[in-house]
Amino acid sequence: MATRKIGIYGKGGIGKSTTTQNMAAALAHYFGKKVMIHGCDPKADATRLILGGKPQETVLDVLREEGEENVTLDKVMKIGFGGIRCVESGGPEPGVGCAGRGVITAINLMEQLGGYPEDLDFLFFDVLGDVVCGGFAMPVREGKAQEIYIVASGEMMAIYAANNICRGMAKYAQRTGVRLGGIICNSRKVDREEEIIQEFCERIGTQMIMFIPRDNIVQKAEFNRQTVIEFDPEHPQAMAYKELARRIIENKNLVIPKPLSMPELEELVVKYGIV
Amino acid sequence: MPYYQLRCNICIPERNKHVIIVDEDRSTIPVSNAPTVPGDLTERGCAYAGARGVVGGPIADVIHMIHAPVGCGYYTWGTRRHLGNAYNWARPGVLENEANHRRHCFTTDMTEQDIIFGGAEKLKKALLEAFRINPGARGAVIYNTCSTALIGDDLEQVAREVSKEVGKPIFACASPGFCGVSQSKGHHEFNFQFYKWLIKYREQHPEVCLKEEEKTPYDINLIGEYNIDWDTVVIVPLFEKLGVRILNVFTGNARFQNLFTLPDAKLNVVHCQRSATYIAALIKEGFEVPYIGVSLFGLEQTSKALRDTAAWFGDEKIIKRAEEVIEEEKAAIAKALEWYRNKLEGKRIAIYVGAPRVWHWPKALAELGMEVVACMTTFGHKEDYEKIVQRVKPGTLVIDNPNEFEIEEMIETRKPDLFLTGLKEKYLVRKFGVPTLNSHSYEKGPYAGFRGFINFARDIYQAIYAPVWQLAKEDF
Repeated sequence: MATRKIGIYGKGGIGKSTTTQNMAAALAHYFGKKVMIHGCDPKADATRLILGGKPQETVLDVLREEGEENVTLDKVMKIGFGGIRCVESGGPEPGVGCAGRGVITAINLMEQLGGYPEDLDFLFFDVLGDVVCGGFAMPVREGKAQEIYIVASGEMMAIYAANNICRGMAKYAQRTGVRLGGIICNSRKVDREEEIIQEFCERIGTQMIMFIPRDNIVQKAEFNRQTVIEFDPEHPQAMAYKELARRIIENKNLVIPKPLSMPELEELVVKYGIV
Repeated sequence: MPYYQLRCNICIPERNKHVIIVDEDRSTIPVSNAPTVPGDLTERGCAYAGARGVVGGPIADVIHMIHAPVGCGYYTWGTRRHLGNAYNWARPGVLENEANHRRHCFTTDMTEQDIIFGGAEKLKKALLEAFRINPGARGAVIYNTCSTALIGDDLEQVAREVSKEVGKPIFACASPGFCGVSQSKGHHEFNFQFYKWLIKYREQHPEVCLKEEEKTPYDINLIGEYNIDWDTVVIVPLFEKLGVRILNVFTGNARFQNLFTLPDAKLNVVHCQRSATYIAALIKEGFEVPYIGVSLFGLEQTSKALRDTAAWFGDEKIIKRAEEVIEEEKAAIAKALEWYRNKLEGKRIAIYVGAPRVWHWPKALAELGMEVVACMTTFGHKEDYEKIVQRVKPGTLVIDNPNEFEIEEMIETRKPDLFLTGLKEKYLVRKFGVPTLNSHSYEKGPYAGFRGFINFARDIYQAIYAPVWQLAKEDF
């Protein structure tokens, strides 16, 4: 089986990194999959739970401090819980330079180094908030991620962001073959949350692949620098991630999304009384 | 519209509206200052080239720091001979000429990781280092180019910080190559940003303004004169002989500190009316200093420039002095002019330069008995073409932003005896047996003014009469 390369997008702060790490841990722990996470956020916080808080040197840090010729896999790739390989692109401080270019450079470097092993089952690109420029679309270019999952909640801005990501995707989908695998609803305990996301998914032509309930155990595990899967593998929340992992493995529902227009979105939001 | 279809443009008809044959009532001008048509192998430069290469570059005593990948620095370094001497003992041709602007090329050499992590710190370091090893520099001009503009490095903040540290003025010019359709936009950007910065600097440092007691009623600036091959050496004395004082040349061989007195003049005399009328207009708006446009090529145009300047002051003494100077100068070159005129009478000339020289020159060339058969500009605007069509004969071919194929066809169909053009075109054209003259930076200038005109005539004569062209015509 060829590696399934998956891009995770979603509004900033929605829980992309937490969900990705828990999902990756579930894939590795319960299903014995070979998984890798490439964090594409300059904050470099996409692998902390897998590595147990171990400091990870980012690709761009090594590039900056030691030069391109000195970037080696053993410096930038760490292996954590469940044998999951972890890489962080890193990037500039907020407000300077070009984080988008950083994403491009880091992925190119990883490819040059042969950093994505052939026998991986899953490779996740955990990408910063919104697709603000060409750099953040790098993970969905030809030959990279073929599947995208958007993390969202029932909150208005999260839905707006998801819709916006779909707009970018629709453009890329024609050219690179990238497809939307579904929306992961990371609950914020908003009223009628599941319903609104369900309807939004139907309207844009995809599925809500999983509704992840809100549970304080996630927070607790994070304080312990762990995923829920590692912290308490029997906990119902861990089971939710396990179910998500199973659905991802079996998911065949890959589509080109049909994003909503602004009036349609407004109408949807009004319908569920979230204004 | 009577646009003209060149043979080579059959497959790219979008180019047709950029080509005209001057009609009898001179009402048609080509479309200009428009985006490059896909498929057109344009010879245009970029906005950064216009800002750094043309307008900013001639300032002699500053560090011109190019915040960009190294190529932007190298390929704009020393390409234009806007000469300068930073010390009074340095003279044209003397090697110990420490003018920073041509001797050195400063760049931050932005690389991949600088782009990702931001280059502001590197720029600051580079500036401080440049000032350390060039203690004589009186300030700096920073230019950004496409990449550094895109990542949003804050040039102005770095300029403020370094300026504070070294105690010298630093001007930051945002000049990304992509900001306009040609180098013309870079001229515009430099003018506007420089003026804005200058006004603020004058407010914060009133000591840089010309003091009341130092002002005279006869202070003028020469705007848009870049001292190509020492043009100022022949131009400035002409005005000084009238009894006016030239406060500033913007920017040929300029001293940074002097430029702060630009608004303190009584009149601005604008030579290059494409790249620098902007600042003259801004000074007029802000300080009510009027400006006049002049041509300083050829006898009659130079005479008119002096007369117009004198007339503006309206001072009998100056008006009389202008006539004396004109007479004096004309007498000094009459004999030589006559000799060249006899040799050059009836020769057919094609002109292709940036923009204004294409309309400055037809009248001057007519004084040598020559006829202009084709006119082309790289970045002329509507006003430039309006002037061109007024100054050439109906039937003249005019091309906006020509490419190599169009130039080739022009040479074949118009058969000029000489092509006044740049270095890029010369190899192509010389293969047709047509001599060329470096018209951007001259061969052996200066070419402006009365005495410069004889140099111009000499170079034209030498180009046309070089024996090699006879050999080139032989059939073997």
